[in-house]
Amino acid sequence: MPSLQERLDEFKRNFESGAPPFKAPPEIIATMHRATAELEASGAAERALKVGDRAPEFTLFNQDHVAVSSADLLRQGPLVVSFFRGHW
Amino acid sequence: MELEALQEVHSEIRAQGAQIVVLTPEIERYTRAMHHKLNLTFDMLSDLHLKVAEQFGLVYTLPDYLRDLYKSFGSTLDRFNDEPEYRLPMPARYIIDSGGIIRAADVNADYTVRPEPAKTVRRLKELRESGNDSPPKRPLDRTCRLP
Repeated sequence: MPSLQERLDEFKRNFESGAPPFKAPPEIIATMHRATAELEASGAAERALKVGDRAPEFTLFNQDHVAVSSADLLRQGPLVVSFFRGHW
Repeated sequence: MELEALQEVHSEIRAQGAQIVVLTPEIERYTRAMHHKLNLTFDMLSDLHLKVAEQFGLVYTLPDYLRDLYKSFGSTLDRFNDEPEYRLPMPARYIIDSGGIIRAADVNADYTVRPEPAKTVRRLKELRESGNDSPPKRPLDRTCRLP
């Protein structure tokens, strides 16, 4: 089973090759690269919370509209929190 | 792709006595549809308007030229995320110990790079084996002097 990054890299190679189904033109790819380079240069990632920081508590609705609280989950053990951008 | 990869290691995360939640800025009906489609066994939580992502310091605003490009694809964040300002979280994964302290942090400005789920499992295992899944003791900030 390829690793997640291998799968992502494969997708990126296909997308940037300009092949179907995306047929991404080079100028679009250049625009995306520019935006990523600018965000990297801004240092935003370095300003996010880090190891040793206290994590903010949260209560949010899950997919079934049930409220889930991080404090309740942490009472049962460690918690992995993954931030997703969305499916679009 | 990341959700599927996290699903693949969900039982290993549980075996380490840990849990996982995925926070998403999408409006709930898209989250529900995706959760159902991928048969996920962990919760996806709606972080609408990025309230929690903001507290973790992950939010950025897409530049105008990128916003226009996405709009031309029909990938409109106002529609999927109710996010007319076109803000997004940087992809990130954290491990929080039972004392509420962050013990692992992976944040990428490049959204095409994601932390490996296998690495997250390894880190959970290390924390468990070190018996150290609780907050680090604060060092004394005062010197104790004997009388």
